[in-house]
Amino acid sequence: METSHESGIDLDTPAKTVTIDEISRVTGMRQRPPVGIETGAAHAIFEPENAEQIADLIRLCEEHAITLAPVGAGRTLATMRAEPVAIGVSMARMAALVAYEPDDMTVVAEAGMTMGALQDLLAARRQHLPLDPPQPATVTLGALVGAGRSGPCRLSEGTPRDLLIGVRFAGHGGRLVHGGGRVVKNVAGYDLMKVMTGSFGTLGIITEVTFRVRPLPERYRMVRIAFGTIDDAFGTARQINNSVPLIHLEVLSPGAAARVGYSAQAGNYVVSAGICGNRAETDYIAARIDEISAAPVEVLQLASALKEYRAMRDLVHAPGEIALQIAVPPSALERCVSAAGADFRAHAGSGVAQLFISADRPAEEIRDAVDQIRAIAVEARGHLRVTSMPSGLSGVLDIFGTPNAGVMALMRRLKLAFDPAGIFNPGSFVGGL
Amino acid sequence: MDRNAMADSSIPASLAAQLSEIVGEEAIVWRRSELKVYDCDGWTVEKSMPDLLVLPHTTAEVSAVLKALDRHGVAFVPRGAGTGLSGGCLPLNAPVMICTSRMNRILSIDYGNRRVEVESGVVNLHVSNAVKAQGYFYSPDPSSQMACTIGGNVSENSGGPHTLKYGVTTNHVLGAELVLPDGEIVNLGGATEERLGYDLVGALVGAEGTAGIVTRATLKLTREPEGRQTLLAIFADVADATRTVSAIIAAGIIPGAIEMMDNLIIRAVEEAFHIGLPPDAAAVLIIEIDGLSVGLGDRMGQVGRLASECGAGDIRVARDDKEREAIWKGRKRAFGAVGRLAPNYATQDGVVPRTRLPDILREIAAIAERYRLRIGNVFHAGDGNIHPIVLYDERDYDEVRRAIEAGRDILKACVDLGGSLTGEHGIGAEKMAEMPLIFSPDDLIVMSELRRVFDPNQRSNPNKVIPTPGGCVEVSQPHRQAPL
Repeated sequence: METSHESGIDLDTPAKTVTIDEISRVTGMRQRPPVGIETGAAHAIFEPENAEQIADLIRLCEEHAITLAPVGAGRTLATMRAEPVAIGVSMARMAALVAYEPDDMTVVAEAGMTMGALQDLLAARRQHLPLDPPQPATVTLGALVGAGRSGPCRLSEGTPRDLLIGVRFAGHGGRLVHGGGRVVKNVAGYDLMKVMTGSFGTLGIITEVTFRVRPLPERYRMVRIAFGTIDDAFGTARQINNSVPLIHLEVLSPGAAARVGYSAQAGNYVVSAGICGNRAETDYIAARIDEISAAPVEVLQLASALKEYRAMRDLVHAPGEIALQIAVPPSALERCVSAAGADFRAHAGSGVAQLFISADRPAEEIRDAVDQIRAIAVEARGHLRVTSMPSGLSGVLDIFGTPNAGVMALMRRLKLAFDPAGIFNPGSFVGGL
Repeated sequence: MDRNAMADSSIPASLAAQLSEIVGEEAIVWRRSELKVYDCDGWTVEKSMPDLLVLPHTTAEVSAVLKALDRHGVAFVPRGAGTGLSGGCLPLNAPVMICTSRMNRILSIDYGNRRVEVESGVVNLHVSNAVKAQGYFYSPDPSSQMACTIGGNVSENSGGPHTLKYGVTTNHVLGAELVLPDGEIVNLGGATEERLGYDLVGALVGAEGTAGIVTRATLKLTREPEGRQTLLAIFADVADATRTVSAIIAAGIIPGAIEMMDNLIIRAVEEAFHIGLPPDAAAVLIIEIDGLSVGLGDRMGQVGRLASECGAGDIRVARDDKEREAIWKGRKRAFGAVGRLAPNYATQDGVVPRTRLPDILREIAAIAERYRLRIGNVFHAGDGNIHPIVLYDERDYDEVRRAIEAGRDILKACVDLGGSLTGEHGIGAEKMAEMPLIFSPDDLIVMSELRRVFDPNQRSNPNKVIPTPGGCVEVSQPHRQAPL
């Protein structure tokens, strides 16, 4: 029902035909054609300046059965869409700081602000938002929450659901809705923050987020250990995790370690543990790890520790690869990544790992490979999500998997309640929602 | 079962017989005299009795009970231990109460994954006790943790003193078995830290019993910190105590807990427990630092210096576990101690941004004066979560009225300062009328829609959380004894 031509896109609906240009004119919103990766995400990119414009847009889209979805950098949406949505709502012009209360350790910002911009603001007061997905500088806060993204520090600080204390979004009927507030402890009303976190734009457009923030760590050190076998690597990681408090704890496959630039450890599995605290604490933890580990322990001081941490945090798939994320009970993680036989970065204490498989083969083979790894995760009472892939594979892979029937029925009801017209990023979330 | 005794009940005799068959006659309470115990929770200002109480033993029984109620279109209210403080399990047009207290087994403990699976009637503290020997604990620790159940904690998203560092219930629940109001059993979330699809567990936690009956929960266990130090700082001025809290946080220190008690509470606690608090102090702070033993001394020294700089007159560091426990006993039983000061008291629960604590305390003092009431304060200072305790005598009609109005004024003051209506007790029956202070009609519509995802016919704990159009619940609830 959507076809591209020179003057924009005609959106044929039973009601009437409207063009993107008309919608742009009626809502007063700036629009532009998608560029780069966005082309797989949306036919046109709208750039609202305030929530009211988004509300108008939603009402029009509901009336004319036009699909829309929020886009940050466009990576997640391009991966999950088999077909682009008609309108991608970029929050680039809604990227302002709304309120920052350093003494209360809370911050409110519009969803288009990037994590990079936010962290700069917070760092001036020696605070940070302790969420660390790959290349955070380019991740918008809307994408961070909408896709529930996290990184190594999830071990100690949790994921967006643990830090998001308030949310505003534009929902069906153009309703401007908020949940939570600006205080760190709050149980008034239903937890709309949890509902919106990880909902991938399928329930509405997040316009503003409120986080609790944390003090920057006093001292950061990285402890790195190389092992010849996966058993020794995970075994030592487990022992360390049970003995001392850590900020993060990763196990990298030899291939992943090489890509991160851990060249001295060539051919080995690498355990990378982050430690924080005052001098006495970091010294103590490093010494304890040294006692526990059978292999030699390398303790990186601040500058090199930060550099190596960033390299490890930013590890993503190479061109021509597919990135998968599995989540299983932590004790099953080693077994699952072993069985998958792919390069990986494992958040060993959290039971979450990113795996990288080659996309340089026929689509059918790729699908079989993903299915096989998903079966391994499901067998371990977990699940798998495709987090990134080359554009040619859109529609070939099941991105999310499907929960059991009872849960799926509830999710269908939730989707229907929040998106009765079926316009918010439809058809590409769990179970085809 | 004596049918005549139930003559004035709204429950059809055929339904009562079915329920009795499902759970056994000994698991049904129907005599008015026995039901009296269940006419309120910790929010004692309002009372309402169910017509029938069911005490199921298994998930299958819960499911069968809900299916029977569904066939008859009868509403129900879930109840754990009844320690809630907002009337969450007060039956409002819900003839049947379903109490999970007999479902109290710890099903499995998985140290390798730091998980425990429990039935919802398990007492909060029993979870920590079960895993203590292995060096773990379940961190949400409401003051009622010796009695309150995990099911109640999940429903109310309970907190406690140690949530400043460790988070509230929702941060520690990975999965839940839920029996939907139509009797269907669903398993939400599960064994992993990432959600597949929508975060239904997150939506369920804090839904205040309006989504059905939680029968099981998978909880995260936390490693016991290697060491703890607890400090008691005594202040002649309340403002100095609140400044100390801000100074500690500003220094980048996140203590396990920072609790504050004001003079009225200090005197009550001292009279009850004799832990050596000076009766003329304006405020005390209890500050607990935990973590590696090797770093504790330095950090506690820093906290002590900050407290001194902010004007603490006397600073005592607990020398051993016994002294530490004595300090915490005073804090956790403060509510009980207050029982010595007046025949009745209502515990309020509001939140302000931490930096506005001095403002809200001034407001509360002014409100107490305005309504000629005594109001004590014991609260979680680290996260701005206040618990004003309003003293009253339920035999004095006018004083009850003033107590309720004072409570509402305190909540309004919290909202005006940028805060919220409840930090950990829930909206329940108590605060529905205040919801429009912080939520717009659109917010409330969307929340109702979320609620109906789980409970399309609104039969699970009806008339709670979201105010119904037409104003206060008091006028619309024939089953409810008027609060005044």
